[in-house]
Amino acid sequence: MANRIVIDPVTRIEGHLRVELEVKDGKVVDAYSSGTMVRGIELIVKDRDPRDVWAFVERVCGVCTTVHALASVRSVEDALGWQIPQNAELIRNLMFCSQMMQDHVVHFYHLHALDWVDVVSALSADPVATSNLAQSISSWPKSSPGYFRDLQKRLKGFVDSGQLGIFANGYWGHKAYKLPAEANLMGVAHYLEALEWQKEIVKIHAIFGGKNPHPNYLVGGVACAININETNALNAERLAQVKQLLDDARTFIEQVYIPDLMAIASFYKDWGAIGGGLENYLAYGDLPTNGYSDVSSFKFPRGIVMGRNLNEVVPVDGKDSEQIKEFISRSYYEYSDGNDAGRHPWEGETKLAYSGPKPPYDFLNVDQKYSWLKTPRWKGNPMEVGPLSRMLVGFASGKAEYKEVVTEALGKLNVPVGALFSTLGRTAARGLESRLVANWALEFYDMLISNIKNGDTRTVNQEFRNPETWPAEAKGVGMTEAPRGALAHWIVIKDRKTANYQLVVPSTWNASPRDPNGQRSAYESSLIGTPIADPENPLEVLRTIHSFDPCLACAVH
Amino acid sequence: MDETTSSVWEEMKNKGYSRRDFLKFCAWMGAFIGVESTGISSVVRAMETKKRPAVIWLHLQECTCCSESFIRTSHPIVADIILDNISLDYTETLQAAAGHQAEAALAKSMKDNWGEYILLVEGSVPTGEDGVYCCIGGKTAEMRLKEAAEGAKAVIAWGNCASNGCVQAANPNPTTATPIHKIINGKPLIKVPGCPPIGEVMAGVIVHIMAFGTIPQLDGQGRPLAFYSRRVHDTCYRRPNYDAGLFVEEFDDENARKGYCLYKVGCRGPVTYNACGVTKWNEGTSFPIQSGHGCIGCSEADFWDHGPFYQHLASFPGFGIETTADKIGLGLGVATGVGIAAHAVITNISKKDEINEHIETSSVPDGDREGE
Amino acid sequence: MKHKEVPLFRVYVWERPVRIYHWINALCILVLCVTGYLIGNPIVLQHGGNDASNHYFFGWIRFIHFATAYLFLFNFLFRIYWGFVGNRYANWKNYFPYSKKHFQNMWDVLTVDVLQIRKKDIETPGHNAVANFMYFITFLAFLFEVITGFGMYSAMSDNWFSDLFRWVIPVFGGDLILRMIHHAVMWVFVVFTIVHVYLVFYHDYVDGSGVLSSMAGGWKFVSKEKFLKKNQEKAAEGK
Ligand code: HEM
Ligand code: HEM
Ligand code: NFV
Ligand code: SF4
Ligand code: SF4
Ligand code: F3S
Ligand SMILES: [Mg+2]
Repeated sequence: MANRIVIDPVTRIEGHLRVELEVKDGKVVDAYSSGTMVRGIELIVKDRDPRDVWAFVERVCGVCTTVHALASVRSVEDALGWQIPQNAELIRNLMFCSQMMQDHVVHFYHLHALDWVDVVSALSADPVATSNLAQSISSWPKSSPGYFRDLQKRLKGFVDSGQLGIFANGYWGHKAYKLPAEANLMGVAHYLEALEWQKEIVKIHAIFGGKNPHPNYLVGGVACAININETNALNAERLAQVKQLLDDARTFIEQVYIPDLMAIASFYKDWGAIGGGLENYLAYGDLPTNGYSDVSSFKFPRGIVMGRNLNEVVPVDGKDSEQIKEFISRSYYEYSDGNDAGRHPWEGETKLAYSGPKPPYDFLNVDQKYSWLKTPRWKGNPMEVGPLSRMLVGFASGKAEYKEVVTEALGKLNVPVGALFSTLGRTAARGLESRLVANWALEFYDMLISNIKNGDTRTVNQEFRNPETWPAEAKGVGMTEAPRGALAHWIVIKDRKTANYQLVVPSTWNASPRDPNGQRSAYESSLIGTPIADPENPLEVLRTIHSFDPCLACAVH
Repeated sequence: MDETTSSVWEEMKNKGYSRRDFLKFCAWMGAFIGVESTGISSVVRAMETKKRPAVIWLHLQECTCCSESFIRTSHPIVADIILDNISLDYTETLQAAAGHQAEAALAKSMKDNWGEYILLVEGSVPTGEDGVYCCIGGKTAEMRLKEAAEGAKAVIAWGNCASNGCVQAANPNPTTATPIHKIINGKPLIKVPGCPPIGEVMAGVIVHIMAFGTIPQLDGQGRPLAFYSRRVHDTCYRRPNYDAGLFVEEFDDENARKGYCLYKVGCRGPVTYNACGVTKWNEGTSFPIQSGHGCIGCSEADFWDHGPFYQHLASFPGFGIETTADKIGLGLGVATGVGIAAHAVITNISKKDEINEHIETSSVPDGDREGE
Repeated sequence: MKHKEVPLFRVYVWERPVRIYHWINALCILVLCVTGYLIGNPIVLQHGGNDASNHYFFGWIRFIHFATAYLFLFNFLFRIYWGFVGNRYANWKNYFPYSKKHFQNMWDVLTVDVLQIRKKDIETPGHNAVANFMYFITFLAFLFEVITGFGMYSAMSDNWFSDLFRWVIPVFGGDLILRMIHHAVMWVFVVFTIVHVYLVFYHDYVDGSGVLSSMAGGWKFVSKEKFLKKNQEKAAEGK
């Protein structure tokens, strides 16, 4: 008989995720992923001024802050047919890149690393050997024996205090941990360093958007005016700070994140064959270099890889009412015309209708409705979205940069291409795209500087700020690539008000419950087959779940 | 409290700091939380003798931006807070343990530190439909909050969600999202509003409690005066432009490029209490106004329903998104004018006789008289 | 043509303090409305280059608003005082609708004078009942503007007087709502003034009772017969 295990709360993620698993013979045989919190943001933005909506939907998530604001302003601009000045596009790109780098590093060190790194084992590491290890993989300066010795002492004091704080009751000593003590100590050191670095890179958001989390956006452009001869505007000093932060970010990613990722991965190559799950990968693409309307100019290309076929990229169209649809047959919602047909987001409905067990409960009714997430499908197919999808679509599009970083990493680890379709592949893809993004950000920076040099300081397209000029009815879609994957917002504007607003979010794609045909989404299908050494301490499940970087506030909204 | 726990001084000693470093740290800490130099000795005493206080951080109906903001703090940095100053025994965002292991860590900390721990709450509590809109570990947010609050020494409401309900409580509040002060009572409660609050402000509140063992002085709405006693407008560096009458009229216009005041494009600085103008964001890098966008009032209760954000005053509920008091007022004024004109015409017709009478027959009054 | 003699009576209705109060009040309201409106919808100074240090235009507007607010408040307080010590017409009881008779009178005025659907002779030497009620509402609005105004002001001044109003902001749930209402009530005065000034001229024109000039000289003209009758009634009631 299969044994039911429940993980709730799943921690080191954003939001409230619950997974229920059937385990048999030391392997997961079935899995149910459930989002247990809802706010109804789609209902709340109704009837509001479309120019304000970005602020509401930005608060869908504070971990991937900015991405919903970006999707929102784009949806309004798309509905009304507006272009934004090039400076605004570049500034938005720079904010996008900073967000992605910060989010990925925080995910790797603070949300994911403890699945692979045993903090307690670090106590027994030899600081000199740790220093040697660190210096052998990177030229990062903080790697002396003294540095690691001090850190170890601090860690010892902490553990000896008996108050383990966030490390209390972790899976320390679990059989699935395989790193040598020295790698663990290095991991802990970089855990703390990453914690300090992540607050630096987001200063770029503060410069352009006033604060982080939740910087300001503006329909029609960006609010920060450029004036290189004014104290009160974006001037040489502010731009120099951006440059410094971008340089430091690239250094951190190249000298800390990537070497750590490769070092850790080399001990867990078996995870290149676990957690693959779905075989379809979707990316909307982003980072325009020639205006958002020119999709071919995107650094992240748009498209779909079906059935792991890397020789073809299938096009995707957010406006085609037959492509993307959301289903609710297993979700706590009701559609006015029955619960089995899907709805394109422009026709989307959000009517909360809980039908799960009455709390407190021990188990969900997994054969009925069991989640607050809707279930998105592309032409009826479940899709994985996220860094891996972006890397695969980029790879399949034949872009050289992608081929380069992917081949280099596969070579270093000495694993086949097939290892990409796995838990390890997902985690590695996040690091690899961080490298690309760190370089692109510097390109965008240079483009911004040369624009300003050429006398272009425009940051807002004025024509559309005035609602008097708006058509009585308009529809738009704003697409982007959030750190966790393909994100789009659909808006219907009537009489200058938001008449309908629907978000289909990366974690909605990945974490959703089954569709009416019983097809699993990404989390559920990737968990099937996961080995479980100790059902009481399901560390392996956390590894695969964390490889998606779950965000449930996003997924449900 | 557990005997094995150590004071800040012991922590520092273990880390190899000298007594002198420690005293310097206390002086700096004292300056940070604003005590007179004569009060520093009490900080020293507090740091010497206090164990790392147990802290439990609940995550309810939230976007987790408050946690994110907390890890952005630069004085003190967050690693120092959670490794040296407090014992953060439960926080879903960062803790290693999950599921049953996490629940066990929570239960143990509550039991060991009953009556002593500090409860930090991020997110609101949806009370609609018996709380099914937010469940954790099979229990509703309300159940979990009430349980955890019972043994807490003090409660901090992080951000606008816990303090005021925030975005999910905006009209029509589909899940009946409720701020925590309406759920728990009988405990000292500090509201730290903001969407999110500034990281250093969050750290500052914790440092204050830690160093003095008391909660900071609060204003009438339960916010620490140290960070919420001034409006953004009162500490805004664009204020001279406001006083001079130099305003931005549209984003990216000539005046925007000169950094004029953002009042006319909707800045809520004049009605918002927060430390943004002084502490600023992200280690003092900037704040909304400095980056050209008006304050949207993110630390005020119900600010979401006070839009649209790009006009000076909110529009009146029920009158459509662009109707301000002035449009309504002007309408009433015109209506009154029209009404009066009509009245005048009718009067001339219906009271013709009376009027004629007066005009024709009024006679000289018969003597002066004082009307009392 | 029929001739009917209507003996008229000259009554000293508005004592000098009330008249002075009235004109100070009218002036304050004018100033507060104009400066208040400008605070809500400021004129943008485009001249003077990009330097704020030479200008204090908006600061002055606000200063005038606040200074006038003080004058307005103390003038208003004086009027309340006068409601207790002044003559019968100035007495607070005229304004505060506490009896059934008040409401009966109001109904009469509404149907006869305002809607003109009934005919009846009403004459009161002070204000008529509806006017009194309108003034009562206006007094409440004065009070409201004072409370909300000083409530907002308490946030920008450390003066002990405005500090007395610190409780106002929490009661309203924030400065923005306070401002919106404070701003909206301005229009109550605009509408009031339009109606008020019209009515003053109206009564002068229709009744020939000298309402207009009464606020200048204090005297009104009323029918002798009715005036005496009223006085007898009052005496009988023991007032
Ligand atoms: C008839 C009486 C009054 C009228 C018609 C009036 C009108 C106004 C208006 C229209 C505003 C602009 C609100 C906005 O759009 O932001 C305003 C602001 C203000 N009023 Fe008044 N007001 C009156 C009395 C008072 C009084 C008695 C005070 C007491 C101090 C006061 C204090 C204020 C303050 C503090 C502001 C905000 C000014 C700022 O922050 O710059 N007002 N008033
Ligand atoms: C051209 C301007 C004005 C004229 C000619 C005028 C004239 C008068 C007159 C004649 C009365 C006595 C009415 C009666 O006996 O029924 C009166 C009373 C009154 N007026 Fe005006 N007025 C003017 C403007 C204003 C304004 C701007 C306000 C304030 C909004 C105002 C507020 C009042 C009040 C409150 C009373 C009642 C006086 C009291 O009982 O203390 N007036 N006015
Ligand atoms: N899923 C998700 Fe997000 C991301 N990345 C949003 O679009 O995390 Ni909060
Ligand atoms: S207060 Fe704002 S930032 Fe904090 S959790 Fe709520 S929505 Fe997010
Ligand atoms: S920008 Fe906003 S806060 Fe600053 S002075 Fe102007 S109105 Fe006040
Ligand atoms: S929007 Fe919020 S961040 Fe500060 S400037 Fe206003 S309170
Ligand atoms: Mg949705």
